[in-house]
Amino acid sequence: MQKYFRKLFVPAVAFTMAGLLFSCGKKADEGNKIKVGIVLPLTGKLAKFGEIEKKSFLMAVDEINAAGGVKGKKIDLIIEDTTGKPDVGRSAIEKLITQDKVVIVGGGYSSSVTWATIAVAQKQRVPFLVNTGSADKITEQGWEYIFRLNPPVSEYPSALASFLKTVAKDVKRVAILHENSLFGQSGSKKFEKQCKKLGLNVILKEGYESGAVDFKPLLVKVKSKNPDMIYMISYVMDASLLMRQSKELNLNPKLFVGGAAGFTLPEFQKNAGDATEYVFSATLWTPSVPYAGAKEYYDKFMKKYNSPTEYHGAEAYAAMYVIADALKRAKALTPKDVRDSLAATNLKTVFGPVKFISYGKKTQQNKLPTFLVQWQKGKLETVWPKEVSTKPYQYPTPSWNKRK
Amino acid sequence: MDVFLQTLVAGILKGGLYSLIGIGMSLIMGVMGIINLAHGQLMMVAMYITFALHHFLGIDPYISLFIAMPALFLLGALIQKYTLNPLLEVESILPENQVLMTVGIGMVLTEIARFIFSSDYKSVKTSYSNATFFIGEISFSIALVIAFFIAVGFTLLMFWFLLKTDIGRSIRATAQDKDAALLMGVNSKRITTITFGLGSALVAAAGTLLIPIYYLFPDIGGPFTRKAFVITILGGLGSTVGAIFGGVTLGLAESFGATYIGMAYDDMIGLIIFILVLLFLPGGFKRLTKV
Amino acid sequence: MKKYTPYILLFVLIIFPLVVRNSYYQHLMILVLIWVVIGSGWNIIPGYTGQVSFGDAAFFGTGAYTAGLFASKLGMSAWWGMAFGGFAAMAIAFPFGWICFRLRGAYFALASLALNEVCRHVATVWESLTNGMVGILVMPTFVSKIPYYYVALSLAVFSIIFIQSVMKSRWGYYFLSIREDQDAAESLGIDTHYYKMISLNIAAFLTGITGSLFMNYMGFIDPEVVFSLHDISIMAILVGIVGGVGTIYGPVVGAFVMVAVHEFFRTGFLGFFKTLASVTGSDFVNTVAKYVSQAHVLGFGILVVLVILYLPNGIVGDWDKIIGIFTRFKRKGESS
Repeated sequence: MQKYFRKLFVPAVAFTMAGLLFSCGKKADEGNKIKVGIVLPLTGKLAKFGEIEKKSFLMAVDEINAAGGVKGKKIDLIIEDTTGKPDVGRSAIEKLITQDKVVIVGGGYSSSVTWATIAVAQKQRVPFLVNTGSADKITEQGWEYIFRLNPPVSEYPSALASFLKTVAKDVKRVAILHENSLFGQSGSKKFEKQCKKLGLNVILKEGYESGAVDFKPLLVKVKSKNPDMIYMISYVMDASLLMRQSKELNLNPKLFVGGAAGFTLPEFQKNAGDATEYVFSATLWTPSVPYAGAKEYYDKFMKKYNSPTEYHGAEAYAAMYVIADALKRAKALTPKDVRDSLAATNLKTVFGPVKFISYGKKTQQNKLPTFLVQWQKGKLETVWPKEVSTKPYQYPTPSWNKRK
Repeated sequence: MDVFLQTLVAGILKGGLYSLIGIGMSLIMGVMGIINLAHGQLMMVAMYITFALHHFLGIDPYISLFIAMPALFLLGALIQKYTLNPLLEVESILPENQVLMTVGIGMVLTEIARFIFSSDYKSVKTSYSNATFFIGEISFSIALVIAFFIAVGFTLLMFWFLLKTDIGRSIRATAQDKDAALLMGVNSKRITTITFGLGSALVAAAGTLLIPIYYLFPDIGGPFTRKAFVITILGGLGSTVGAIFGGVTLGLAESFGATYIGMAYDDMIGLIIFILVLLFLPGGFKRLTKV
Repeated sequence: MKKYTPYILLFVLIIFPLVVRNSYYQHLMILVLIWVVIGSGWNIIPGYTGQVSFGDAAFFGTGAYTAGLFASKLGMSAWWGMAFGGFAAMAIAFPFGWICFRLRGAYFALASLALNEVCRHVATVWESLTNGMVGILVMPTFVSKIPYYYVALSLAVFSIIFIQSVMKSRWGYYFLSIREDQDAAESLGIDTHYYKMISLNIAAFLTGITGSLFMNYMGFIDPEVVFSLHDISIMAILVGIVGGVGTIYGPVVGAFVMVAVHEFFRTGFLGFFKTLASVTGSDFVNTVAKYVSQAHVLGFGILVVLVILYLPNGIVGDWDKIIGIFTRFKRKGESS
């Protein structure tokens, strides 16, 4: 046994030593590298989107480095896994700032992890560019080292509001269903307020725990109240069950609208099939948005990784370009100077024009329009605002038994 | 009225599936006196088997029943034989170490599934996934109706098995009094191994029946483990008929709760019923019906 | 020698942040200390009174929310939570224990699991009080980690001394007698229900204070984070099992092992695989590195299974066994 143990132990030690040596050896060429830290959930429940973002970050950084890098130096991306938990996220960013001495941090993903990590960045005075965390409060603290690329959750349904005002004027009764998550709870409240402003009658607003097997009892209740529009803030698989079961129950409002979360992903269509037809969704980004490079980004991603990307990926890809741009313009490569140049950002990205402004309670927040998309013949088409639409909208939704 | 009837139908159909999940747990708890906190995770494994068979070989989920169930029987038996039975001989001040072992096993199973299939959502789409028929205004999902009848079939089969076969009798004897059964010449290790296998096979059936109408990801097990022990406590340990009662009760409680109280509370309703039954009707339905 | 180990350990822990200025390691040590308290608290119930609780997160979350609500509802400092969080958790533990301690063994475990889930649901649904999943935010008070470190350290030291003194008192003997044989204890006239309640409330109190500390330190809580069955309740159990149930220092070792294993896997064996991949440039190593960094939960799961099978009393409880593992293995080989 002892021999056996030694056999295992010696290589293990050698292994670790070698690892340490390697990491020391690498320090030699660090002079011509700029270290940028990224925190993302690469394992755990949120890993899927963390992975898409990671690939997008890497793709963008490869392009930037291939084009000569920044100030003649290559960007060295250090990606740390947060596992989707705030305490681990905090370990990750502490490591990035104090061990790796990065000049800027990006990523974040879920709001709880984003919050825990930006607090560290602010305290350590290292700029942090948030690209996905959508809780409104993130940019309401007046923290001068925190910037946000994506709009906060409260601004997601703005395109829908204009659609309701100009096209779907006969929608009067609204039912809101939402998952009990940060996204669902705060989004539904904001939407309810917006409905009141538009003079719509919210007849039902109900939350549910994500992962339910059977939504029929809820949908039956909705059906008995006969709404004109059903607004659902759901994650992808709940979304597909909601639509499938609406079809099974023959639930026919004039309008099915998804909040941005789960209704635009390919899995939604894959799982719910023809039940997705005519479903609208609010979204921040699709490959068909009118920003230069958006479609190219989608195609490049598809070619490189052979899997589709979506708006999280676009956020990450754009964030990398914003970071590189800030590094380029920074007087010196110190966190303070990078922060100052980041504040002066004015860049067109695949995710839209980026400029950090202050409005309302928010500071250093990028303001972007949102879009309305619709599933038509198994494809996601941008339908609103009209100027950027790829296909005309189909309204009202035909009832289930009159299709085909 | 339609609302009421539709809720009732939804609750009963869902309850059928729940009872199938519950029977396996009920058997295991009855015979071994431990809670299997990896029960939902075993179901998850079966669902991945079904998914893989459908995805790579195009095998229909109903046919995969004949593959997933034996596979899970084997997995369950191996788990019992090599991780749970040895614990009987381990001297430990750790109480309930078998239960805690199942927690560890559940973690390992989940992570292995994540390794192989990643965290992505998977689903099996069949022609009958969305099919429905209507009686009056009430809609019935065909897949759920089939699942319900298969579940009832399995339950009756189990009932017969426990009542009429030698192994079944030994299982019941062990459940009633382990020491007495031992004295009567029942090989308790063999019986517990078979029981765990059977329990796993039954929950595999539930998973396989569920997948056409649901979806799949590695963390799916936890909530179903919770449902399984609620059903078992409702129905009474080791009772197949009790498991049906428990499953349908939970299904109805969740459905009516969702319709008349709020969907956000449906998990809570199950758990509160569970605590109430635990306190005021220890032994569950079994005590009322004596079967 | 053995007598002085705790003092040496304490000394090392006190000077640790003064020597190691790197805030990454300081953060990891704070996590370890937090887990020491949670683990010690959990350990009282199964280790000393023989009941397994799956509901630690209920107490942890209640403590965290107490601190959060002081800040969000009363506009006071979240540090008040440190004073009241423990009592708030006891307010949950008291009725729960009162009702559910008539259940034994596995049934109590299930009831505590249900308590955990009910608390999480309540915190999610009761939006007007808790903000639901939007969570509660507080401003971190200190820039430096050192104040948090010493608060966590004093809490850990306090809880260990407290538990030690309880175990040396009359209560301790009653606890142990309940663990060994509840019926016998009862027949000797020990009010088992009463003493189980005491043990549960001590556990809840310690866990609740830790929850408040967590809120102050992390600055953000939501129901999924602090009422998490998997990340809090089950982790507490695993810390206890790995370290050693029913030992004073078991949770200390367990907490250290847990945080270390987690961090070791998360960083891909401290960056070894990443470096190897970039040096060799091979895709295969890259893939291996990716799998390794995903394996922390798997690694921990396997560790737990192995510990329960081969070190049923945990690392501390079976320390002698670990020391003598080689001879022990030999003997086993001969006898079988």
